[in-house]
This record gives sequence, structure tokens and C-alpha cells, in this order.
Amino acid sequence: MKATRKKVLLLDDEPIVCERLKPALEKIGFYVESYTEGQKVVDRVMEETFDVLVTDLKMQKPDGLEVMDFVRQHAPATKVIIITGFATVDTAVETLKGGAVDFIAKPFKIRTLCDLIVKLTSSEPAAP
Amino acid sequence: MPPTPTLRSLLARRRNATVEEVRETLHRFRSLVEQNDRVLELIADAGEKLGGEYVFDSKYLQDLAGALRDAAHSVVTTLNAISNDRYPELLDALAAIDESVKAALECRLAVPDSPYVLPLSEVGLPNLEAVGAKMARLGEVRSRLGCSVPEGFVVTTHACRDFLRSAGLLEAVEILGRRFAEGRDGLEVETARIHQGILEASIPRKLARAIRRAVARLVKPGEKDLLLAIRSSGVEEDGELSFAGQYESVLGVSVDDVCSAWQRVVASMYTPGVLDYLRQYHAPPGCGFMAVGVLRMVPVRASGVVYSLDPNAPENDVLVVSAALGLGKLVVEGGAPVDRLEISRDPGHEVVSRRLARKEHMFVAVPGRGAVVETVPESERLEPAVAPWELAELADTACRIEQYMKSAQDIEWAIDHAGRLYILQARPLRVTAPMKPPERNLSEVVGRYPVLMREKGEVACRGIGAGPVRIVADPEELPQRLAPGAVIVARAATPRLGGLLAGASAVITDLGNATGHFATVARELRVPTVVGAESATQTLVEGMEVTVDAEDNVVYGGRVEALLRYQLFERSSFADAAEFRILRRMLRRIAPLGLRDPTSPAFAANRCATYHDIIRFAHEKAIAELTEIGWVSTPSGVPWVRRLDLPIPLDLVLIDLGGGFRVEAGTTTVTVADLTSRPLLPVIEELTLGGAWETAPADMDLEGFMSSATRSMPLTGGLTGRPEQNLAIVSKEYLHLSLRLGYHFNIVDTHLGDTPADNYIYFRFVGGVTEITRRSRRAMLLKRILESHGFVAEGRGDLVVGRVKSLDADAMVHRLRMVGRLIGFTRQLDIHLRSDHLVDEYVARFLNGEAASPKV
Repeated sequence: MKATRKKVLLLDDEPIVCERLKPALEKIGFYVESYTEGQKVVDRVMEETFDVLVTDLKMQKPDGLEVMDFVRQHAPATKVIIITGFATVDTAVETLKGGAVDFIAKPFKIRTLCDLIVKLTSSEPAAP
Repeated sequence: MPPTPTLRSLLARRRNATVEEVRETLHRFRSLVEQNDRVLELIADAGEKLGGEYVFDSKYLQDLAGALRDAAHSVVTTLNAISNDRYPELLDALAAIDESVKAALECRLAVPDSPYVLPLSEVGLPNLEAVGAKMARLGEVRSRLGCSVPEGFVVTTHACRDFLRSAGLLEAVEILGRRFAEGRDGLEVETARIHQGILEASIPRKLARAIRRAVARLVKPGEKDLLLAIRSSGVEEDGELSFAGQYESVLGVSVDDVCSAWQRVVASMYTPGVLDYLRQYHAPPGCGFMAVGVLRMVPVRASGVVYSLDPNAPENDVLVVSAALGLGKLVVEGGAPVDRLEISRDPGHEVVSRRLARKEHMFVAVPGRGAVVETVPESERLEPAVAPWELAELADTACRIEQYMKSAQDIEWAIDHAGRLYILQARPLRVTAPMKPPERNLSEVVGRYPVLMREKGEVACRGIGAGPVRIVADPEELPQRLAPGAVIVARAATPRLGGLLAGASAVITDLGNATGHFATVARELRVPTVVGAESATQTLVEGMEVTVDAEDNVVYGGRVEALLRYQLFERSSFADAAEFRILRRMLRRIAPLGLRDPTSPAFAANRCATYHDIIRFAHEKAIAELTEIGWVSTPSGVPWVRRLDLPIPLDLVLIDLGGGFRVEAGTTTVTVADLTSRPLLPVIEELTLGGAWETAPADMDLEGFMSSATRSMPLTGGLTGRPEQNLAIVSKEYLHLSLRLGYHFNIVDTHLGDTPADNYIYFRFVGGVTEITRRSRRAMLLKRILESHGFVAEGRGDLVVGRVKSLDADAMVHRLRMVGRLIGFTRQLDIHLRSDHLVDEYVARFLNGEAASPKV
């Protein structure tokens, strides 16, 4: 029996981040959509359920925090991982309080994020 | 501007340093060492980022530039504080590097200070900004893959800039660049004016002479009617942009017309067509200077283009060959039917489809007339332009170039009358068909292959490669060249192995780490590499076919085509992404170390071209300042200066920067038992072991004695400005040892901690009592012993410099013990080295653990 692929949303205003992460995640079996604008992610979340959202913080409105808030309200099953180049203890605490399941400072190893997403999604069936 | 210190003030400082002055100087020195380490750490870190393992964005690049600038400035300011502003010119060098890094960060292209003309043998991707992308890639194909390319040279961007300056066009070019960047329209008039100006200007005499000389070197004895191809090689065309057909190339140029053809090619950069092209692709305006290749024309029988993948149907897995008789002009410019063949990408390269054209005309190069159309004899019109065996070689070469460049390739080629294949150009292929998404269940497909190794060691360069295993157990027995496409499996990641990387499909080493020199080379060459995999040389077997996935760090048995295809289909190779290109350019202005030999006149502040040079220079000079302080007269009440009590006659003063040794109240000396400096201990322990300190009376013969008696002696002082005091500047993890033993001078500078990436040993040895031949023999011996312990060693005359870095603590202790023994062993050795063959004997004695002279 073929397992349905888990679905990951990527959001970062720097295309290079999406370009690097998307194929790496696809290679290990995920279905991936990537966006450079927060509004598009907000729209997609209303249409479909994703297992994981990986988002940058500092972006044009809506920024990462706002997108995360929206996802927490409208798609509570979606796990949110924050990736940011402005990593401080305060931001980490703030985002984790806001409902993110993890916080990764840029630059990071692709493997680190892949392993984390595998871990987060391995115990549950894929989103419908 | 601070006053230049007088000799008197310097001498006064040297003799009468007060406790406060010494304390202040040490404090500053410590901060200099910290900032020095910070720069090295940032450089190593940035190098690692190029391996593709990390995700980083433009903010990282900005942060990196800022952090490097701050640390390097702090090092320079501190040096000038220690030295009474002895090196004001270092600030100028630093400002120039800041500016150059900033330019790289802002995507502005710099024009390196290269010679006007570079032979193709010296051209490659590292000097892309001097020679342009087209020639840089051709140089790589020639030197890295051993393909035949036409002989020739490159007239550099530097030559172009100087020409535009002398023509009075430099300002106009800069203004045009700015206006273009601002998105202004109506630049056609200005462009045409520059174009015309270039054609009408006369070439500066120095440049014309350099070009003529280089051309003369291409002419073979007795050769008449040499024809040349003058090819544009813009620096802008390094990424996805091909600039195909935008810049002019001139074929069939005779020796006397090279300069005017060069002008034509340079002028072709300034046309409305190029501006439109740049706009269409949202490209930056570039640097405005063009490099130009001048190549011998191959006497061609046939030529054409090969795509390593069908750009319209990549999933078909075929190479596409277009071939014509004579010059490739017909193929490149169209205008007449040519042969078109599809060849399987699989080894064996079967012809999948063939469409032969009726060839009525062909282009040939004619002296004095350039490329001229000729009629093809009736009998040859339906013959294929290329023979089947030539097709197989062409396909194989194209696949190798693709594998080396890590992207599908668009290659121009030619075959001469003897059937020899030449590569004329290789550039990334623009694949127009939508990229097929990766196979839906790549992980399932991959799961069918046996996993030979999983997650052993760390990835030094990301990527996927497959091929037959080639085991290299002993780095000393490396062949000159390995068969291209092999997966190298080696015990150690030595710099020598780095020389074999080009053309390898992948590399796995048992030892080593991702920040070593070897890893840097692997990333520069983009060879998928896993280091520190512990037992790869045991697990994998010579000749077996494997696929190395240096992304997920798995080695599969067999050739996993699905993975190889995934790599090729990835939208663009990460190494071509803008951020990676910028980081590479930044690193070229940051990381290379040009200032290697402190005894050379070139070891000067104004020769510092990178941040690495700056800190190397500052570190060396700061230590020189420290050794000038009269430590011996320093009051014994100062707890951080002590004489080391040793069982051998070596007068050694220790200066503690923190954690280097324990001091008991009321003492003026410390013993070996008091030492807490991790790098000093193994050196001293080994040096003082029975027999290590060579004590046999040196039996100097008359020749050696006369040489030493007549040679002027201010050797060490003359070289380094240092007095005779033996000095060890130490901390918990740092050691700088300056030894003047007899007539030679020995420096060991090392860091030993728990992070391998921070560890290094720098060993320098110069001088001796005998004549230069014997001293050189000792240098030769040192070089060989150092190399046999994994050092990269360079020698010149009686100077030897050895370096090793990124070792773990155990390996460091092992090497430092060796260094300690070596210092004792070689102390008087030059006197014994009466002939060359004795060098072998003494090397063997050392490596066998024997003393330099047999015990009496």
C-alpha cells in the first residue's frame, strides 16, 4: 500500500531558501509548495490542509508571525517551524509561545530541517 | 596621523619596558589573537557554506561581510597600538579589501589586477573575473578534464579597462552602466558613441606589445598563414545567461590583424542588442569590461554543437548532436541543413535517431579572407559529417563535461583531419521544456538498492555521484591522474589527494573533516564529498560500482540512475544560484593567503590583498613586537613571565596569555610539571626526552667552518629583527615558540583545542651554520619529514614552512610531539649532511625513532 505523501508549505521572501529546501524535501518523499509572499500561504491554508508550515519571520506584510497566527487559528493541525536570520532568545521564546513547534536560526543545515520535519510528521497520518 | 616612532623611543621601549607597559601590551596582544582567530573562524565557516549543506540568504552574506570587517579592523588597530603606529599603510590595504568585498556583495564585478595576457594553461574558474566565463570554462575543460582545446591566450578584463581609459572612454562607460542600472531608456546614442570610440581608438603600446608577443608564441617554427579565432568572453555570462550570439567573435584572423579584431570584439559589448538582452533577462549591467580569447584555429574537417541533454525533451535521456562539414558557423548561425543525431546518454552511447543533411556548402577559414563559403564536392554531400566512433567519443566527452560542471551543457566542438576532437566552448544549456518533477517516489526507488554505508562522517560538498570505486589507501602512492568518473575512497583527506579530485564522480575519506583544506578543494571543484567516514576503505571494494548520495549521506551499491537524474533535473544547481556566486566572489577577496613567507620582501603591509593576508601580517608583526620587549629584565614579581627550568641547556622564557602555566609565589622559574598549556606540553616533553636533544659534539670540517666564519652572522636579526631570546608565548590552547638555536631560527605557532576546525600547526625553520648547500639539505630533510606527517610543506633555499590544520586533539598532540623531537633532532644536523644521500639516511633515522647521531 502506498502511503499518501505528507504536505509541506514553505514561505520565505528570499527565493534561494525555497529553491534549496523544496527539492531536498521532495527527494525524501514530501509534497511541497513554496511561496515568497505571506498572502499566498494564507490563501492556500484556507483551501487545503498541510502537515507542516516552514516560515521566515521578517517579510512584507503579512509577515511570518502574522501568517503563523492565522494558521494557528484556521488550521490548528498544521505544525509551524520558524526559520530566521534574526535569531535571538527573545524571538525564539516569542515564536514558541505563539505556537511554533520549533525555531531554527539561519544559516542551517538542510538535513537539520529535513530530520525535524520527518520527526514531526512520522507519528501521524498525512493531512487529508 | 600619529608621529612615526623614533629609533630611540623604540630602543627605550625594548630595554626598559615597565610592568604596566608589558601588561598593557600583553592585554592587547591577547585581544589581537582573539580577533585573528575570529577572522579565521569566519573564513572557515563561510567556506563550509559553499558546500551546499547549508541554507543561507543575503542577510547571512551581509552579516559575514560586517563581522569580517569588524574583526580585521580590530586586529589592525590593535597592532598599531602595540607597535606605536608602525604600520599605517595597513589601513589603506584594509580599506581596499573592504571596498572589494562590498563590491562583491553588491554584485558589482571587480576587475582584478591581472596581467594583460594570460596563457590558456593558466586560466580557470578561479580567475573568471580576469578571463571571462567562456575562457574560464574552456581552461577548466582543458586542465581539469584533459580535453583537447585549441592553443591560445586570453586578453584580460584588466587590459580592456586600461584600453578604455587610454581611449578616454572609461567615464562614458561608467555613466552608461549607472544609467542602465537606474533603468533609464534612450541609451542607444551613448552606446553607439562608445562603440565607435572603441573601433577608432589606438591600442596603448604596452598592451599591443603584450598581445603581439603572445601571438608570436603561438606561431610554430616555419609556420605561415596561422589563423586565429578571436572570441568574446564576458564576465557577466557566468550564470544562466548564455549571451549566445550577442557578442561578436571573429574567425580566420591572420596574425597581423589580431589587435583590430580584438577591438571589434570589445566594441560588440556596446550595442543596442546587448542592452535589450540584458534588460530582457533583468541582468545587472556587468562591469563594462570584456575578456577576449585568442585561439589557434583548428584545421577542421567537421564541427558543430552537442547538447548533453535534449533541451526540449529532457526526459528522453539523449544527447543531441548537430554537425556540419568545415567550420561550425553553419550550425551556430543556421542557414543550411546540417546532420542531426540523437545519442543515448547511457554508456555505449548508441545512436537513437539520425537525420543526415545534403551538404552543398561549407565554411572554411582562408588566410586574409576569414570564414569563406565553399562548395562541397558532389560525392561527399550525402556522407555523414562525423564517423560513428567519433560520435561515441563526442558523447562521452560531453557527459564528462556535464558531470564536472554539474549541469547540462551546450558544447561547441570540432574534429580535425586526423580525427582529433577539440572542445571550442562549453556553457550551461538552457533547458526550455518544463522540468519534470522528481520521481514521485524517489525514496521507494532508491530503497531497492543495497545501502553500503549510511550517515558515516560528514558531508563536505553536497551532490550525487556514481562510478567505480578507486581505493587510495596510501596517499604517498597516488597516481598522477585517476580515470575520470571514479569514486575515490581514501584513508586520509590529504592536500595531495586534492590534486586528484578533478574529474572524480565523488569522494569518501575515512579521516578528515568538513573544514579542512581538502574540503575546500572539493567545494571549489564541486565534487560530492563525504569526509571522516571512518571505515570506507574497509567497507567498499576496489572496482565496485557505487552511488554516493552526499545529500542524505548514503552510499548505495550499484548505479542509482533515479538519483543521478534527480541531481541533473534539480531546477538549477545550487552552486549557480546568485547567493552562492556572491559568496564565492566574496571569498576570493577574503580567504586566499598570499603572504606566506615572512622573510620575503613581499611580506609587506601594502601587499595584503585579502583579510587572511591582513591578519597573517598583523599576527607576525605583533609577535615581533612582543619579542622585542626585554623580558629577561622584567621583574620576577610579574606572574605571567617566567623562565622554564629544563634538563637541557635551553634558555626559554615563557609569557602567559592565560592558562599557560601555574606559578608558585616567590619563584622566578617554572618546571615542566607547572605547564598547563596544551600545545606546549607535548613539544617540551618530547624535546627533553633522553636523546632527543642532539648533544654529540658537531664535528665541523674546514669547509663548513670557513663558511660559517666568513658568512655575515646577523642572520636571525636580519631576517626578523628579533633578538636572541628564546620565547614561548602561551595560553591554555595557544603556543607561539620562537627559538634561536645556534645559527638557525625556528618558529612554531599552534592552536590545540577540542574543536578540530580551530587547530593548526605552523612550523618555520630558516638558517644554519654551514654553507647554503648543507643548510638546504637540512631544509629538504625537514620538508620530507613534515610531509610524511601530513604537513603541507614549502621550501626555498634553507627556509622551510610547514602547515597542518583541522586535526583533532589526539592527532595534534601526536604531531606536536614529532615537532618537539624534530627541533632537537635537527639542531646541528646541517653539519652532518655532507652529501645528498645522507638526507635519506637521516630521514629514515628520524622516522625510525633513532637519534641523529648514534649514542656513544
